[in-house]
Amino acid sequence: MSSEPIFVLPGDRIDASLIPSHEKKPLRLGPGLRHVPPSDLVPTLAGQLVTDRQKNAIRVETANGRYIPRVGELVIGTVNKSAQEVYFVSLSDYTAPALLPQLSFESATKKTRPILLPGALVYARCVSASTGKADGLGPLVGGMLFTISLGMSRLLMMPKKAQQGRLVVLDELADAGVQFETATGRNGRLWVDSDSTKAIIAVGRAIQETDEKSLGVDEQRRLVKKLIKELS
Amino acid sequence: MAPPAAELSHLPKADGSANFSFGGYTITAAVNGPVEAQRRDENPFEALVDVNVRPAAGVGGTAERQLEAILQPALRHLIAIRNFPRCVVQVTLQVMEAPENAYVNSKVMQPRLNLGIIPSLLHAAMLGLLTAAIPLNTVASATCLAVTNATAGSTIKVDPSPTEIDQATSVHVLGFTAGRDLLLAESEGSFTAEEWDRVLQTAENVCCRGQETGNDAEMGGYGAESENVLHFMRSVLEAKAAESLHWR
Repeated sequence: MSSEPIFVLPGDRIDASLIPSHEKKPLRLGPGLRHVPPSDLVPTLAGQLVTDRQKNAIRVETANGRYIPRVGELVIGTVNKSAQEVYFVSLSDYTAPALLPQLSFESATKKTRPILLPGALVYARCVSASTGKADGLGPLVGGMLFTISLGMSRLLMMPKKAQQGRLVVLDELADAGVQFETATGRNGRLWVDSDSTKAIIAVGRAIQETDEKSLGVDEQRRLVKKLIKELS
Repeated sequence: MAPPAAELSHLPKADGSANFSFGGYTITAAVNGPVEAQRRDENPFEALVDVNVRPAAGVGGTAERQLEAILQPALRHLIAIRNFPRCVVQVTLQVMEAPENAYVNSKVMQPRLNLGIIPSLLHAAMLGLLTAAIPLNTVASATCLAVTNATAGSTIKVDPSPTEIDQATSVHVLGFTAGRDLLLAESEGSFTAEEWDRVLQTAENVCCRGQETGNDAEMGGYGAESENVLHFMRSVLEAKAAESLHWR
């Protein structure tokens, strides 16, 4: 990770030394970058330029905005309605619904398919419309859905969020003896389930507050202590 | 004149929002998008850009519609509309404050075009679009110029006050992208071809000053107006990005 973050605006020139080069792997462009033939890279978002020399990848990182679906991302969708073969699933408000084939659920056949009512939650992976078979990860039963920023959902999906992302709320809550399950969607959705409704709300609120006020590690610990006191 | 000021992402429900104030104008921009377009006005190849200007008092009329008609094509050129077919990007610009003179007698007279407000509207919209993380091709800035004819010859005033606009023989608004391309040009009043050339050159200098050097080394020559708006936008957005990505 570079020491000094590089900030770019749309249309800026990216210095050639910042673009990673690798003998074998092709260069991978993440969100916020556009390739202008023959060999120019132009940012399209305002954010910090992040390069990964090992993976030979480069992207622009932002924390706000509306979710734009990309292939391969894990999302939490809300079922809007059911059609003959597919469910219409909403990923974010006021956007066209995504299609989720009913047969793409695990061990679903023509005879036995999961019946999801409008409002049901599904954990799914985005695939391109043309590739057909989507391997959905299944319905989320019970629990509650919380809306968080895109930056926070990315943070929650990091494998080492405590070391890399300085996010310790969930670990602290678990250490304090609260039992809960979470699922994070890349579309800024967080699903929390637990036996007690109080715990669900506490966990969801803790994440939302950490997100809104961008709390540091110590502040997160303090928040958890306060919540635990209120829970017991 | 006071330096520009801005506040970013202050509206909780909008995808992106910004408050921009400069030269007596304060504009709040709320940007939502890309969202689903209505069936009857969707375009299967590109996103629609919907600009909505709301005045400081009352409901919008013909003057606001004209401002929208000037801003919409400019924003359309900046937004990567081809990336989002069948979508719409909504830009709502609410005038929060205007210099006192802006509304003098405007109710009695016919609604008239207020060119002085266009740079602030454009800058607020730019900041809103950038905080909404909507892909843009490039960034842009605009400036307002007033040409006054005196006996000694014509003088050009950058960022004129409403009184100066009233006294001017012609008023011009010009917008340039960061790559020095002309984005929008609106003029009012009578002027000669030489005056127009001078106006164009002055506006380009004001909008694109210090772009190549990367800092405002070439300063001076234009008096009160302090820093380049693009530099200002970059610094506020950089601070915002550093704040929201603090864990990096």
